[in-house]
Amino acid sequence: MSYPPQPPYGQSPYGGSPHDQPTQPGFAVPPMPPAPPPPPHQPYAQERFGGPQAPLPTMHDAPRGPVVYDAYSLPANDNVNPYAFAVELNGSYFLQKGKMVAYYGDITFRGVGAGMVDRVLGQHFNSPLHAADWVVAQGRGKLLLADRAFDLNSYDLDDGNLTVRSGNLLAFDPTLRLKQSIIPGFLTLIGTGRFVAASNGPVHFVDPPIRVDPQALVGWADCPAPCHHYDHEYLHGVVGGLRRLTGIGGASGEEHQFEFIGAGQVLLQSSERLMAERSVGQVDAEAGVPVGGVPVQPGHGGNPNTPGLGNLGELGRRFGL
Amino acid sequence: MLAVELAGEAVKARHGSMVAYTGQMTFKKLTGGGDGLRGMVTRRLTGERMTVMEVKGQGTCYFADQATEINLVRLSGETLYVEADNLLCTEAALHTGTSFTGLNGVSSGNGLFTTKVEGHGWAAVTSNGPAVILRVDKDMPLRVDPGAYIAHTGSLHRSLRSGAGWTTVIGEGGGEAVQVEFTGEGLVYVQPSERTTVGGDV
Repeated sequence: MSYPPQPPYGQSPYGGSPHDQPTQPGFAVPPMPPAPPPPPHQPYAQERFGGPQAPLPTMHDAPRGPVVYDAYSLPANDNVNPYAFAVELNGSYFLQKGKMVAYYGDITFRGVGAGMVDRVLGQHFNSPLHAADWVVAQGRGKLLLADRAFDLNSYDLDDGNLTVRSGNLLAFDPTLRLKQSIIPGFLTLIGTGRFVAASNGPVHFVDPPIRVDPQALVGWADCPAPCHHYDHEYLHGVVGGLRRLTGIGGASGEEHQFEFIGAGQVLLQSSERLMAERSVGQVDAEAGVPVGGVPVQPGHGGNPNTPGLGNLGELGRRFGL
Repeated sequence: MLAVELAGEAVKARHGSMVAYTGQMTFKKLTGGGDGLRGMVTRRLTGERMTVMEVKGQGTCYFADQATEINLVRLSGETLYVEADNLLCTEAALHTGTSFTGLNGVSSGNGLFTTKVEGHGWAAVTSNGPAVILRVDKDMPLRVDPGAYIAHTGSLHRSLRSGAGWTTVIGEGGGEAVQVEFTGEGLVYVQPSERTTVGGDV
């Protein structure tokens, strides 16, 4: 398997890093850089306002101040904290529009599809039209990425493939190739390199076979068979069937899952809050192409509450049924 | 969440940010940001609105704002420039005021003015996600997305840097058309999240 083997509920996406902090199981803590002094655990809740007569600990000599980063002490291609990721840029890097927070050095940002850049891109973007949402950062310097204070994790692919929800992918090495997945709303990365993905809450790595909630799914690696799974017994039982047909009584919200079978790994986030879907571009209408020519619906596949017949819509919920 | 232990001193906090307290506390609304009549007029004129209350008493008072991260900034004589939305609480000894930021403020969607905190003591600054503190040196200018900027200290010069060109106009822009460039010496606080800015997704 090419994807770096992760222990289920993996500790660190980088494998046994010496900087791993003790952590609860299931919490993927990115290793902190060794260079800056570790953030002294400032007990926020007990910080005392000492009044003007209290001695002033100066920020420069006191180790208790917050960590200050500069262009040299920012980690290279690593997390600064769980929500911010620093990239050492020397050449080019692809990122989603609007995820740059700050940078040192001389970096230009160009939209994919603009002039000169386009030629370089041919080999990296093999999908129809979603390229407009991507930006090429070119130059030298340190780049800080973040996304709505969601957890960021970087993953190394070693001649592997990983499919990720389009809204979750933040940035990737130019050595990787980005393709649109057959499964609508997902993008596939192929090759060797590192990419950064966001998730709401830490990411868990789970081995198939597994059934996951559609909203908790971030992506999967090397997994051959992602498919829908409905709770057949329930849906075809008397109670479930009635509910499904009439919409009365509501749904438990868990009748529908994604099922993964085969070797590989499934990435789950620890909440069911979805990232805003990024348009991945429209596939040409063509026989045999799933949702060809149909714009991808935001939040597709995640709503078990829309039965086909006699749906009372919001009424059921309004009456507390 | 920020816990402040008080023994007769006072702190200035954003109106309505108290979530709990123990002991005896009095809450007094300070009109016009608590910087006197002149400050009040300036705030009214500049639109850098900030309703502040003074909390005084004995005990522990807890402040919080929408579960955002709280960063404590120790000031010893320096000036902290912070967006009014991000300032949660200061010691009473700190002076707050407004300062003109010019066009830079407009780009970050926070108006033309920013809040200035001066003196000796602690100030609590909120951010969406823990703030990353970046040092700026003479030979190390920093460029920041206006939506992620929350505060800075030191003698820094802010200037607007635009990467917008004809490609932006036709919708193929780089997504980072507007940046704020900081030169000089000081520290810049950046949050791992972006406010919606006027520049937006260009």
